[in-house]
Amino acid sequence: MRKALLAALVIGSILLALYPMVATGYSIRFMLQLFMWVALAQSWNLISGLTGYVSFGHVAFFGTGAYTAAILVTTHAWHWAPASLTGGIAGVVLALIIGYPCLRLKGPYFAIAMLGLNEVMRVLVSYFEGLTGGGLGISLPILYASVQIYYAMALAAIAVTVTAYLIISSRFGLRLMTIREDEIAAEAMGVDTARYKLYAFLLSAFIPGVVGGLYARDQGYIEPLSVFPLLTTVTMIVMALFGGKGTVWGPVLGAVLLFSFQELVWARFLYLHQILFGAIIVFVVLIMPRGILGVIQQRYHLSRSL
Amino acid sequence: MHEGHLLELRQITKRFGGVTAVDRCSLELAPGKIYGLIGPNGSGKTTLFNCITGLEVREEGEIRFKGERIDGLRPHQVARRGIGRTFQIIRVFPELTALENLLVVTWESFDAAHHRARELLRFVTLDRLQNEYAGNLSYGQQKLLEFARVLMTDPELILLDEPAAGVNRTLLNDLLEAIRNLRAQGKTIFIVEHDMKVIMDLSERIFVLNYGKKIAEGPPGSIQSDERVIEAYFGG
Repeated sequence: MRKALLAALVIGSILLALYPMVATGYSIRFMLQLFMWVALAQSWNLISGLTGYVSFGHVAFFGTGAYTAAILVTTHAWHWAPASLTGGIAGVVLALIIGYPCLRLKGPYFAIAMLGLNEVMRVLVSYFEGLTGGGLGISLPILYASVQIYYAMALAAIAVTVTAYLIISSRFGLRLMTIREDEIAAEAMGVDTARYKLYAFLLSAFIPGVVGGLYARDQGYIEPLSVFPLLTTVTMIVMALFGGKGTVWGPVLGAVLLFSFQELVWARFLYLHQILFGAIIVFVVLIMPRGILGVIQQRYHLSRSL
Repeated sequence: MHEGHLLELRQITKRFGGVTAVDRCSLELAPGKIYGLIGPNGSGKTTLFNCITGLEVREEGEIRFKGERIDGLRPHQVARRGIGRTFQIIRVFPELTALENLLVVTWESFDAAHHRARELLRFVTLDRLQNEYAGNLSYGQQKLLEFARVLMTDPELILLDEPAAGVNRTLLNDLLEAIRNLRAQGKTIFIVEHDMKVIMDLSERIFVLNYGKKIAEGPPGSIQSDERVIEAYFGG
């Protein structure tokens, strides 16, 4: 099982690495965005899937990374790669600042605090016009780098999935899960829950920052509404839930299925796509709260990392 | 400060709004003995346990463990110093397997942890269910798992909050046997229990709480005939 999975992964990676040589512009962009969603859903999984602290503002890290990278590229003439990495660091710094107070909040209060963070960040970037261009946004210098960004996005998706694998198959990951399962019992058994939550939160904020930077470079233009939309947070949550939160491959599966579905339907029926997306959310929450892999894994007693 | 006490509570007070749940409560536990804590419902037994383990912060008084102050420490710090507990309402980690429930609470090497976890699961007769999710186990099995989990942390002092509640006779006898074994290994055990037979059989010394105050203390024989205790349970 494990060998077959590993072989599939190696072959899959080689095919994806060679893909841009044969693909058209549209399909490269499709894959690039798919990688972005895998990276985002998996990042959300690290904090919310494992510790149960549902972050409703994860796009705040994405937007912060996007603005950080865009400013570095435009006003300081940085290359997009180090600029995006710095965007990731900006995400982690933001997580550090708000994680300490917010992670003390339980359940819905944490979710709402994170929702608020996203709104605050959007207002802040609109307000500091000198730095961010305010509501007009930032236009990046023109650059055709879709293929390079394709690889960078793929790397981000792989990096966060490998991180998820290492965490979930370790005792560190199990301890994060004890926070989700019963935080008081975890504390009483010696788990420093405050510290563990913060570690998971910091880890979950890095890749969204990087991906935000790459997104800014790829789009060539960002504005407050385009990089801090609530819909992005909702989408990454739904992808992780649909595939199976708290598992390694759940968020990947969820992102692949939902993003492909979205592209197929969206191209044909603009409004129907939103209705169907809403229906999927309701379906998952009501019928399959564990998600596809969660159900399979529990029924057949499979490991969370398969 | 008296030498040789494992745990020492001095004038512990805890209020919830206008209710004084624990009222200037003092007690000492010597190492290697079994102690009981009894009292009517709402007399502050669980709150006292919560104060000792740091889940509630005492408002007044001092708690010393092996001579060092532990009041004001966070729960995980208290746990790491050697005080383990079980809960009145079962608190296993339902979506972790039985084995994982034990593995997460130690910091020794993975192999050593695995070895000891399997041993403990065998001890509580759950070894065949080690890969089952804790949430799928029966009530009694979860109770045993919680018991095994507290042992996994290798505590010197074990607080058991109603270990006999909802447990059938056979299982109860095994549990009592296990508790006596722990004492034989030199552990100190502090038990809250409503089943008078259990607590009188097990304990070497019993503390009685009523409205948060300690009203009596002594060996089981003297507690049973203590007028204040009888009044607290049966009197107006």
